[in-house]
Amino acid sequence: MNTSKPAAAIANSYTISATRMEIDRFIVPTVTIFIGLILCFFMLFPLSAILKMSFFKGGEFALANFTLANFQKYFTTAYTLNALWHSLYVSIVTTIIVTVIVFFYAYAMTRTTIAGKTFFRNVIMMPLVAPSIVQALALIYLFGRNGLITAHLLKINWNIYGATGIIVSEVLYCLPHAFVILFTTLSAVDIRLDEAAESLGATPFKVFTRITIPSAKYGIFSAAALTFNLTITDFGNPVVIGADYNVLATEIYAQVTNLYRFDLGATISIILLVPSMLAFMLNYYISRKTFSMISGAARPIIPPSRPLKKFSYTTYCGLVTFAIMLVFATVIIGSFVKIWPYDWSLTFRHYNFPSIGGYSAIWTSVWVSLIVGIAGAFITLVAGYVMETRRHFFKRTIYLLSVMPAAIPGLVMGLGYILAFNKPYYLFYGTPWIIVINIVICNFTLGILSSISNLRNIDPSIEEASISLGGDTFRTFFRIIFPLSRVAFFQNFVYFFMRSMTTISAVIFLVSATVHLAAIEIIMLDNDGWTASANAMCTCIIVIVLFMLGILQIVAKKTGRRPDEIVSQI
Amino acid sequence: METASKKLVLENISKHFGSLVAVQSVDLVIEPGEFVCFLGPSGCGKTTLLRIITGFEQQTTGDVIYAGKILNDVIPQKRNFGIVFQSYALFPNMSVHQNIAFGLKMRNMPQKLIDERVAEILQLVGLTEWEGHYPSQLSGGQQQRVALGRAIAIKPNVLLLDEPLSALDAKIRVRLRTVIKKLQEELGITMIYVTHDQEEALALADRVVIMRNGEIRQIGSPWQIYKEPKTSFIAEFVGTSNFIPGKKKNGNVQFGRLELAVSNIDDIDSETVYLAIRPENIELIDETRPTGTYLPSNIVEVEAEVINFLGAVVRVSFTLEGEEMLVDISEKEFERTQLKRKDKFKIYFPPDEFHLYSELFKKLI
Repeated sequence: MNTSKPAAAIANSYTISATRMEIDRFIVPTVTIFIGLILCFFMLFPLSAILKMSFFKGGEFALANFTLANFQKYFTTAYTLNALWHSLYVSIVTTIIVTVIVFFYAYAMTRTTIAGKTFFRNVIMMPLVAPSIVQALALIYLFGRNGLITAHLLKINWNIYGATGIIVSEVLYCLPHAFVILFTTLSAVDIRLDEAAESLGATPFKVFTRITIPSAKYGIFSAAALTFNLTITDFGNPVVIGADYNVLATEIYAQVTNLYRFDLGATISIILLVPSMLAFMLNYYISRKTFSMISGAARPIIPPSRPLKKFSYTTYCGLVTFAIMLVFATVIIGSFVKIWPYDWSLTFRHYNFPSIGGYSAIWTSVWVSLIVGIAGAFITLVAGYVMETRRHFFKRTIYLLSVMPAAIPGLVMGLGYILAFNKPYYLFYGTPWIIVINIVICNFTLGILSSISNLRNIDPSIEEASISLGGDTFRTFFRIIFPLSRVAFFQNFVYFFMRSMTTISAVIFLVSATVHLAAIEIIMLDNDGWTASANAMCTCIIVIVLFMLGILQIVAKKTGRRPDEIVSQI
Repeated sequence: METASKKLVLENISKHFGSLVAVQSVDLVIEPGEFVCFLGPSGCGKTTLLRIITGFEQQTTGDVIYAGKILNDVIPQKRNFGIVFQSYALFPNMSVHQNIAFGLKMRNMPQKLIDERVAEILQLVGLTEWEGHYPSQLSGGQQQRVALGRAIAIKPNVLLLDEPLSALDAKIRVRLRTVIKKLQEELGITMIYVTHDQEEALALADRVVIMRNGEIRQIGSPWQIYKEPKTSFIAEFVGTSNFIPGKKKNGNVQFGRLELAVSNIDDIDSETVYLAIRPENIELIDETRPTGTYLPSNIVEVEAEVINFLGAVVRVSFTLEGEEMLVDISEKEFERTQLKRKDKFKIYFPPDEFHLYSELFKKLI
């Protein structure tokens, strides 16, 4: 060209490396296949082991061995059959209570002008930082046989063990999960619809029943389905407070651990899988609809609420937050007093853990959780990227595999891991690595969904700009996509870390004589009668998780994103 | 350099998305160093066509050929085409320098040469003192200059610009337009520029390609497009036109009570004709001029309805035989006539200023 300048002429002699581009063609397919294989091997294979164990005699796969004897035994034994009815009963009751409580709570946060919303929003998220056992521990301290309120203040004989205890503790445990969904839904529905109806002369009651509730119906169903799923698959609370009231999750554990009946454990797992799968599918189907309804456009100002409305909603939210804080206060105080509720003098002696695990369990938990956090955040980001990139490969298959873990109860997955990997040639079996893998897989769905939604926030032109300038997949990812996703990456890291610190059901079958985890120690301590030390262990976990969340807040502030936005995403 | 062969050829390109036809049998030859604008309303397929050239979209049929080589299976990285996006698409985690250097880094150029090239580019786009800044610290116009610099830094064979100015303010848009045009002329880069803004297309392009419903409707210089719009759609889309539905009668065109003389009436076979005339081609009758200057059949008296002062011209709307029309009169004429709303005034349709069409496109309102 006529204006060729020296540097420009030289530029022509540097071109895109052809070999690099040849290799690049295989990167996305290779990574996709790799992730697909990981999910198949660590999710589908253990699941198939459970199916094999429940439907085939001796767990040996052969046509002649096919049997329904396990199911027949399950359904004809009154005691085990009861577990199913118990599970359904507590789950349905919990679902109804949680949905109602949370709907009005979310309504107060989004449609009224009450003071202290940040406080209320943060408190309702608190149950996420502790294992789903903290509620049961607190309730026993307050309403148990020797409870502070029942036995000492009211001096009555009633106690909370059994169905009531499970329901109350599950309600307190499920609040944040349902809240995130309903809060998002109610924030997204245009408040001007309500105003329009009011201006046309509708009474507040009519506006509420004809406009507010119908426009939030998908969110309501979705929150209900999630609550049902969480409750029916939870293990920690029922095992502590259920006493003789057995549910499916505790029954699986009892069959396997106490009776060594792996076949029956697997059978009950299948029975638990059915309702939880249904609830998950319902939720999945609905949440796709909800998201299509949400438009980022409308964020109008809420008109000031009337004093009476403000007062009632403040009282209401105050009661809910009081209940949650009471749980945490009880457990934390309980870990520091000599003998609850007789001797209130302070002591550290419950922190001298009497069990084998003790502090080493906490350290194991922390480093396992750090690895889970990094590995989980990284693999879900990579998986999200290969799915969202313009040269994706088998996107739908990988997507389907990625959302499946959310439908599988942790306990079932854990049992599947024992059945599938308890062979000498699986060297990771019996080591902390199997726990790392299990937790990453169990929480894969939420991780990947948040990765995808973050990747979608990046302008697709940015990736195309890199490609048009000669950027290959590898360098586009590490120089552009990864730096742009670092806040999302850290959020995901904290999410995985938090799940790893607090999960019980996923790993209860995977801890061994040599590998102890803090969350499991709580159950062991409580089981052996060291309830105060169980509380102390709980407190340790809470402190560690809160510490990590604190770092997240600092990182978020530095990068200029609103912290509460991040918390609500978790 | 064998620039003569460095043509970009599009041969019979079609693109279907399911049952939707986005691009239909496009043939086009773009000469080296040419500035071509794809102009059309949104959804006309111009962006899809651009993305097929870049390789981000695979055409259903047809070939993209550059310098005699078929590019259909060549990945975007290896086409060496620069792209400027509507959203700038700068890398927010990189400084201006790093953004411009990115493509050179991908080519494994030594750092020293990269720095020289970046300095040269910064000079070209006038951002030398902004080298260390990040995109978020720049204005929209500056960001788009960086994007432009980043795309030309790799010495692209063809530079493709996808509505690069539509996110900017009107004033900056016009200024940056000049920058782009100057760069193109100085560097002699082949440019393809996609826009829905006809003014932009006419101002920039050597050739304008008008697209509608996935097809090319007319290719020509801005002058040709404006003066000889091939279809009634182009007459309306590029600039402004008044449309007069009429019927042929005695070698004239009957329009309501009027019988207008039209010079090139034999261009069209059909009985029903649509005449198009631009507002600036309708004349105001000047009574001082000798009789015989105007054909009596083409003089009409109308009533001024809305008067819009646009600066150099004044646009006056009136209704003729039930059709709403516009006439542009110069600011001088306006001063002379002192036209006000509801005033009657006489206008003249010059017989040779009409374009004739056999059908009228349906307006999308």
